[in-house]
Amino acid sequence: MQTPMATQMLDAFQVIADPSRRQMMLLLSRENMTINALADNFEMSRPAVSKHIKIMYNAGFISITDIGRERYCTLKQDGFQELQNFIDYFDKFWVSKLKKLETILNNKSKEK
Amino acid sequence: MENAIKNEIKNEWIYEQSPKEVWGYLTQAELVALWLMPNNIKPIQGHEFQFTTKPIPSLDLDGIFQCKVLELVPFQKLVYTWKGGRGDGIFTLDTIVEWTLEKHGKGTKLSLRQHGFKYSNFSIFTAMTGGWNANVQKMIHLLNANPNGNTNA
Repeated sequence: MQTPMATQMLDAFQVIADPSRRQMMLLLSRENMTINALADNFEMSRPAVSKHIKIMYNAGFISITDIGRERYCTLKQDGFQELQNFIDYFDKFWVSKLKKLETILNNKSKEK
Repeated sequence: MENAIKNEIKNEWIYEQSPKEVWGYLTQAELVALWLMPNNIKPIQGHEFQFTTKPIPSLDLDGIFQCKVLELVPFQKLVYTWKGGRGDGIFTLDTIVEWTLEKHGKGTKLSLRQHGFKYSNFSIFTAMTGGWNANVQKMIHLLNANPNGNTNA
């Protein structure tokens, strides 16, 4: 973990709430890119791009590797996993509730 | 690790009771509370209501789900919003719950679909399905192409 990156922490949902960051991740899903190459796709200052990269890095959406003089960004699964946990939770939640409804309905039928 | 990213939940359940009886358990607050959560639902289009449960800290949910009836076809279909968050007015969970009831013999086939998970319209999730390996391959390729490259990360 690189210490200069440890400045801003947002949760996974806040990270993907921003359209520029979504666009950056979409570009990175096609290929790994240097920070400079990524910045060329956006009409924003280089510090602004760096800030977004820092946020995505901190939330586990990307990793950064130095190759020669360039810094390469790669998508990482950790950040996305947090979003997936949300769905998995509700999937199990509904199955247990639907089963409970079955028990309640059947018990009621027996009482008649 | 699973790579497929799901963006909706679907479930089907068969009940021995009639759609009319099951419908009551979806639309009458005191009956819904028996199997789901305390609530103040009413089978009226546009009605706004809440489900309340214990906070779920691991998902940053305060345990209050804000809902609004969007569609209502008695004994057949019920659709409502299902939103939640940490209580600061921002909904990190912003979904739609759809119930469909069909006759199944003497009983009922109840289908549930929860969709609209905020990132479901986020095309990267489709792009990524099966994309992880390709990304790793590209990284390896890059590393190999730069034998003098330092990985200071």
